[in-house]
Amino acid sequence: MKWVVKKAAVLGAGVMGAQIAAHLANARVPVVLFDLPAKEGDKNGVVKKALDGLKRLQPAPLVSRDTLQYIDAANYEEHLELLSGCDLIIEAIAERMDWKNDLYARIAPFVTPGTVLASNTSGLSINGLAEALPAALRPNFCGIHFFNPPRYMPLVEIIATRDSAPAMLDGLETWLTSRLGKGVVRALDTPNFVANRIGVFSILAVMHHTAAFGLGFDTADALTGPKIGRPKSATFRTGDVVGLDTLAHVVNTMRDTLPSDPWHAFFKAPAWLDGLIARGALGQKTKAGIYRKQGKAIEVFDPAAGDYRASDDSLSAEVAAILKLVDPAARLKALRESGDAQAQFVWAIFRDLFHYCAVQLENVADNARDVDFALRWGFGWAQGPFELWQAAGWADTAEAIATDIEAGRAMSRAPLPAWVTAPGRSGVHGAAGSWSARREADVPRSTLPVYARQLLPERLLGEAGARPEESGETLFENAGVRLWRLPAVDGGIGIVSFKSKMHAIGDEVVDGLLEALSRAERELDGLVIWHEAPFAVGANLKQIHDACVAGDVERLERTVSRFQQTAMAIKFSAVPVVAAVEGMALGGGCEFAMHARKRVLALESQLGLVEVGVGLIPSGGGCKELALRAARWAAQSGTAGEVLGNLTPTFMAVATGKTGKSAHEAIGMGYASADDTILFHPRELLWVALKEARLLADAGYVPPVPARGVPVAGRAGIASMEMTLVNMREGGMISAHDYRVSRAVAVALCGGEVEYGSLVDEAWLLTVERREFIELLKTPETRARIQHMLETGKPLRN
Amino acid sequence: MQRQIQDAYIVAATRTPVARRKGMFRNVRPDDLLAHVLKSVMAQAPGLDPALIGDVIVGCAMPEAEQGMNVARIGVLLVGLPNTVPGITINRFCSSGLQAVADAASQIQLGNADVMIAAGTESMTVMTNMMGNKVVVNPAVFAADEQRGIAFGMGLTAEKVAQQWQIGREAQDAFAVESHRKACAAIAAGHFKAEISPFAFSEHLPDLKSGEVRLRQRLAEHDEGARTDVSVDSLGRLKPVFHARGTVTAGNASQMSDGAAAVLLVSGKILRQFNLTPLARFCSYAVAGVPPEIMGIGPVAAIPKALAQAGISLQQLDWIELNEAFAAQALAVMHDLELDPARVNPLGGAIALGHPLGATGAIRTATLVHGLQRTGGRYGMISMCIGTGMGAAGVFERL
Repeated sequence: MKWVVKKAAVLGAGVMGAQIAAHLANARVPVVLFDLPAKEGDKNGVVKKALDGLKRLQPAPLVSRDTLQYIDAANYEEHLELLSGCDLIIEAIAERMDWKNDLYARIAPFVTPGTVLASNTSGLSINGLAEALPAALRPNFCGIHFFNPPRYMPLVEIIATRDSAPAMLDGLETWLTSRLGKGVVRALDTPNFVANRIGVFSILAVMHHTAAFGLGFDTADALTGPKIGRPKSATFRTGDVVGLDTLAHVVNTMRDTLPSDPWHAFFKAPAWLDGLIARGALGQKTKAGIYRKQGKAIEVFDPAAGDYRASDDSLSAEVAAILKLVDPAARLKALRESGDAQAQFVWAIFRDLFHYCAVQLENVADNARDVDFALRWGFGWAQGPFELWQAAGWADTAEAIATDIEAGRAMSRAPLPAWVTAPGRSGVHGAAGSWSARREADVPRSTLPVYARQLLPERLLGEAGARPEESGETLFENAGVRLWRLPAVDGGIGIVSFKSKMHAIGDEVVDGLLEALSRAERELDGLVIWHEAPFAVGANLKQIHDACVAGDVERLERTVSRFQQTAMAIKFSAVPVVAAVEGMALGGGCEFAMHARKRVLALESQLGLVEVGVGLIPSGGGCKELALRAARWAAQSGTAGEVLGNLTPTFMAVATGKTGKSAHEAIGMGYASADDTILFHPRELLWVALKEARLLADAGYVPPVPARGVPVAGRAGIASMEMTLVNMREGGMISAHDYRVSRAVAVALCGGEVEYGSLVDEAWLLTVERREFIELLKTPETRARIQHMLETGKPLRN
Repeated sequence: MQRQIQDAYIVAATRTPVARRKGMFRNVRPDDLLAHVLKSVMAQAPGLDPALIGDVIVGCAMPEAEQGMNVARIGVLLVGLPNTVPGITINRFCSSGLQAVADAASQIQLGNADVMIAAGTESMTVMTNMMGNKVVVNPAVFAADEQRGIAFGMGLTAEKVAQQWQIGREAQDAFAVESHRKACAAIAAGHFKAEISPFAFSEHLPDLKSGEVRLRQRLAEHDEGARTDVSVDSLGRLKPVFHARGTVTAGNASQMSDGAAAVLLVSGKILRQFNLTPLARFCSYAVAGVPPEIMGIGPVAAIPKALAQAGISLQQLDWIELNEAFAAQALAVMHDLELDPARVNPLGGAIALGHPLGATGAIRTATLVHGLQRTGGRYGMISMCIGTGMGAAGVFERL
């Protein structure tokens, strides 16, 4: 059954409710956000305040400024009849069964049969909640558990009740996946569901071992962050971010709801945590928690001293060396066998995490794949527990865990389930699917049609399926790119993928791209530029730097010319070129995307012309494209030739190296077009880009011809931009070199030092930006910026 | 004393309340504001034959778009004055309104006319960019270092003045707080009643629910900019806008505003003929140039010239309206000329009352002549700084 959400409602304008509403609005689903009527003043006051808060919240829950217009404020006293027009109602009020039951009773008369009602509860029993509903509504009720911040965390757990209609659940999963871009895991109705059950256990295990090994919270965080594939906020800092009171609440829920869990003794807040909460140190929201900032210094709470001390994230040399090992088996073995306390700590937290997951798999999830994806998508781990275990060598690791259980070193004496140590088991993920302890079988991936849109879905370690670089049929390959195709999808459309690190654009990428374009014109109907994020972080600075050091201006000019030539080849290709963009598309990457006939953008795309950061200007046709767009907009607004007004915001964006924070912002900044396609699920990019290219080809593709008679802003335009620069320079906001670089941006955007309204062509605009680029490369300040960026990865302000 | 044939007398001076930009006049056009004050000022001289008006001179700092098309003539026609009455729009940025008064007075003093209207109108709501709808700077500005000051934003020039005259952040904020305090007190005491012509207008708004155009009737009676809730503390929290380590903020600068004012000037002959009571006599007016990058100091050059022409000393001035473009420049001017703070802006200034650029001079003329009437002071002066580096000052005598 096809299920469409034309309008939605969110009940509860708290942190989660308001942000869920925001994300629905991001997806252009009109939404009514409800809360209690305000006691005084405007009865929608509570909701309006929450909506106002969305504008300031970081990371931004809204994809653009105008997104708020899709959210209507409402209250339970006056507007319940609005619910009858909604296809989806998400309840996200406080975690109290009695309050939720009361609310359900109140809204029930207004809920149209067929409307899906779902609770965002993170702790209450979904079946318990369903009992309070009229029988007619139960088939369309389920749990829908988002993670904070809902725009950015991919995970949504869907929790069915005994009565939930399977078709409804499929429709919801389809919609959440494609329209909202979420990674859906079907969770069981068990306390804390999947991600929080395992994730919070992991936090408790880290807390336990931190104390047991006598480590500081800062050291524990240094060991449980990016070094083991987890977010920078690691463990204790994550506690500060979510709020220590919230963390304690979740832990207490586990204590109250899981009395027979073998690890139950550990389901309690440590004394120091209660102490911090008692003194009002709740984390980020109270400016102090496990950590606090004193001026610029960061301090960490020391439970032994009962006070804060300077934070120190240094590690023992031994553990640092072990964590650098790439092979997971060697790494885990080294940790286990090391005598170093920090290494032993890391082994211990993995051991107990694996132990817990193994014992609880049959209780908390349908299969091991769901657990691993839940932790990847809900907690930001690079790998889930089962895939890590499998990668580290299943049987050896299992044996080591069993030994530690036997010796009383593990947190619980519960034995490993029999399936773990069954003869011949080499893991939980394999060709037949992932292991389900409940069904005692390997379970394949979902066959919901929506997943067919993901040609190369995210794969767990050990899971079957080809990696992108091994997929399809290779047509051409060099050191920089691979041109390939997927005959099963559309053999007529080529896919060109960059192979360079962070997809930086160097000579080999440029050469490869030109060759791919040439082959596409001869042999294919269209071309898609696609690879996994990032799209491209810009030109290969090292090659430019080397040419500078060699004093080889000719080589530099050749490099820039060839870059421009490639952009032009993308634009004027005889076959349509579609750029599929996810993540950063900076500098040259942004320029290549701008030159494509069409862009398919993941919602979370960051496009920007950031060259000023290294003392340069966009000169792969980026300034040229912006100048052309300004001329086009001027003509469209009935004032042909009046290009300057359209260039002013563009100038500021380029001169300050501003990056759009979403696909919508990229369109607003002129780096993408309003008729480009925005996708919420990045894994659908390739499928859609292939379709777009096919459609353009089949519709009878007519490539553009190079623009002529383009009015430019010229000298007067440059002067007008320079006025801004004079004020910024005199106002102490920019350096002399910033001024120089920004003026070069102005020159390139305004088509050179010619009269206002002069008519030029594309080749002229390219010449102007190329000249400015080369002149800047000759300055010591720009060279210093490039060198600094290469050495530190950070921009130099000089 | 200047050589002249006859004196010019102000017999009426009135203004609209001043609105914050995008405030109560967000849907009111500047030509309608002008028409309102032209009508109101004529109503204050009953019996005077409007056909005698020699010219209507209107100051406007950004005479384009809704206030373009020679807005003076548009205003004359809109209000229904005889179409034999001409109109001219003039522009000297922030002194345009005062320049209009001076030019009107000159026509009478020269004997070219016996009845003149001087006015000013400005909507910074419709003209959001202070440089106009199309900003295209002359490249020559950047060809020579001495021309670069032309490119300085007004706020930056205020920072330059603050630096050179060593006017600190606290002094500026304190000055701003005082401006608001005086303005609020004046409004509460009804001191602006005599000079303001309340403006009733209607707005045509879409009523999306009914699908009908809704006519909303409104009445503007009071200035909108003055705030009771500012303190040195609250202003101290604002960030400097024009310099990374600067002192000039949105709180110690003048407000962007909408407003209009008109002043009716006549000769002695007309006074007698129509039995009119003069409010004040126009004494003198002077302008002077200063370096563009410290334009705020302009009044220091203009005020002595205007006083010399009027033949009076600074000490004889009972009331000084010194436009508060920025607290920094106002304090610098007061410091250099040793102006008595008690006599400067007794009812508050542009930081609290707003600064609809080209209208301000005419608006403050209304404030001054009515203020002198109320307090019994004799001489008063209006002065302001002007973008690109000028100052203007005009002297008036209560009768």
